[in-house]
Amino acid sequence: VTLHATASRAPLRRTERRGHRVETALARSLAALAAILAGGYLAGLAYLLLRGSSKLFAFSINPVPRTGVEGEEIVRTLIATMAFGLSAWAITTLAQAVLRRISRSEKTPRLATWKKIAISILVIVLGITLCDYVPSFLVTLPSETTAGGGIGPEIFNTLYFAILSTAITLPIGVGAAVYMARFAMSPTMMGALRTALDTLASLPSIVYGLFGFLVFVVQMQAGYSLFAGALVLALLNLPLVVGISEESLRAVPRELEDASLALGATRVQTTLRVTLPYAWPGILSALVLSVGRVFAESAPLIMTAGTTISRTNAFSLNPFRGGETLAVHLWYVNSSGLSPDKADVSAGTAAVLIVLIFLTNLAASRLARFGGATGNRLKKATR
Amino acid sequence: MAMRALFAEESARRPSPEVSREPRLSGRASATRWSELFTRGFVVTCGGIVILATATMIAFLGQTGIRGLSEIGLWPLLSGAKWKPEANSFGGLALLTGTVLSAAGAVLLGAIPAVLASAWLAELSPRSIRSSFRRVMEIAAAVPSVVYGWLALVYLVPLTERLAHGIYGEDAPVGGEGLAASALLLGAMIIPTVMLLALDALARVPAELRDASAALGASELQTAFRVALPGAWRGILIAVFFGLARAAGETMAVQMVIGGARKLPDNLFSPTTTISTQIVMDMQNARPGTLASNALYSMALVLLVVSVMIVLATRLLSRRTAS
Repeated sequence: VTLHATASRAPLRRTERRGHRVETALARSLAALAAILAGGYLAGLAYLLLRGSSKLFAFSINPVPRTGVEGEEIVRTLIATMAFGLSAWAITTLAQAVLRRISRSEKTPRLATWKKIAISILVIVLGITLCDYVPSFLVTLPSETTAGGGIGPEIFNTLYFAILSTAITLPIGVGAAVYMARFAMSPTMMGALRTALDTLASLPSIVYGLFGFLVFVVQMQAGYSLFAGALVLALLNLPLVVGISEESLRAVPRELEDASLALGATRVQTTLRVTLPYAWPGILSALVLSVGRVFAESAPLIMTAGTTISRTNAFSLNPFRGGETLAVHLWYVNSSGLSPDKADVSAGTAAVLIVLIFLTNLAASRLARFGGATGNRLKKATR
Repeated sequence: MAMRALFAEESARRPSPEVSREPRLSGRASATRWSELFTRGFVVTCGGIVILATATMIAFLGQTGIRGLSEIGLWPLLSGAKWKPEANSFGGLALLTGTVLSAAGAVLLGAIPAVLASAWLAELSPRSIRSSFRRVMEIAAAVPSVVYGWLALVYLVPLTERLAHGIYGEDAPVGGEGLAASALLLGAMIIPTVMLLALDALARVPAELRDASAALGASELQTAFRVALPGAWRGILIAVFFGLARAAGETMAVQMVIGGARKLPDNLFSPTTTISTQIVMDMQNARPGTLASNALYSMALVLLVVSVMIVLATRLLSRRTAS
């Protein structure tokens, strides 16, 4: 009986296994390594936000004086509306999370549509009326040698770059993706396209900068301009947008297209009315990710759009003027800036950049949840 | 609701397929054919634009780079130790050494912890933390490189300076800026990218293999290191290659911490330069068309060839994985 008991018990006990202690120690040290990595990045992000918040929340009772640059009022209204909208969104999300904790319900409480509209109207009204009362750092012009410079034109340029380059990437990228996913007839062209995209994806961004400088700035004599920068950024983003768009186009269930074809629709009609709308969330998330790269890129922009802000047309919509973005400004202030508060200016700029990147990542993951290979819509349709 | 009613009305007005075959609707049919032709033409044009843009880019860079190469010569450009555009002397050995050493250092410092941490996260960690861990890494991977560069300039460089003086003595001619700082910075920058790609590779290892390993009596740790990691080695290698490519091509962040001295480094703590740093610094003074400018394009061509080769290697690996 004793023999039977030991024989059946001994192998079943995990802790008595040979080398169990060493294994536990190894697993713990791996966990510690992962915790250090994640904790380090989290702490870094939190530090960046906190360090910059002294600039971002520097509200004052006195209005920020106007400098009389053309378009200043509109840009101030825009930035104020965005700041208020962001705070409103953060407050409502936080309140919802707290309410859910209190009521202990599984479902997230949703805001009624009229409440959403009311909040949006309130945000816009606040943005228009209080546009001179936002922290001066966010709306004023940068200053080369004295303290107190802002990043208003940089924020405007960054957003304008996002719009300009997306306007180029969207049609070409989606068109190429549709061709690759649905209309590819010639294997030669398909091979060439794949090689081209692989090459584009592999190039360091500085090489794009050199190309943009050579072709747009020198040969086309556009000078340092937003136009040259936007073209280079569009080219830089093509592999990303085409890749994700093609993937989400290919993830559209065949049954849906077959059904459309069986109803007598042509291939083009099917693509335009069934495939594209279905893959749209995935394509949008690719575009949002590419906007994130526009926010982050600096090397090609230094060589195509320059590192300066003009005093006269800082807020102009003319794409043939030069202008720096937030990322370029952060580099410029640290490498050749002379202002005494450059540490604070850098911190504020970095915090604004982090907020923008955070928002784009959030938007991309929200959008990707609706579409693509693992999206809800696909699950619903194939259930 | 009004919207839906409107659509219903429209679809009711639309002719049924049988009717549309009748000859009196031929105008509509030809309109369809035109839109058909237009759409097909549009997507083919888009594909063509992508190919053309890439070809133009390679052609322009290649032409300018080769013009520089033919004047300087490939061997002097790669092996000369003196880079002095003002004296018409273009030896890129210091640039190449800086790029290779800081990228290699970054892979050593960044890739190994990243792969180990992703193995723990994919195989051993509690499931509840996985998605939030991933989210943190996604944001860290998207943080602009200048932000990393600025943080390193403010906090890492003083640390490496203290380290350098600790090693070489207080009066030694060493500083914080140099290869050590840039390798540490690049290592921190590539960790999120390598981790995300390695996690994807580990997720592709079939669960049956893990179950089989567990059924044979292997512990979770044994399964992780003897089944999951070997099963995903190709994907992990691709992840490391991507990290290498990013580290070798990184410009602004490295420029902020490497010191910018156009000479070979004496040790890990003396300022030197990399290809991309030198390009961004010298382009501001070099007039287009001069030898100084062409030499920069030649160095860019070297960088381009190296990174295309890295990516071709990963392509070969991933194609074989797919088949």
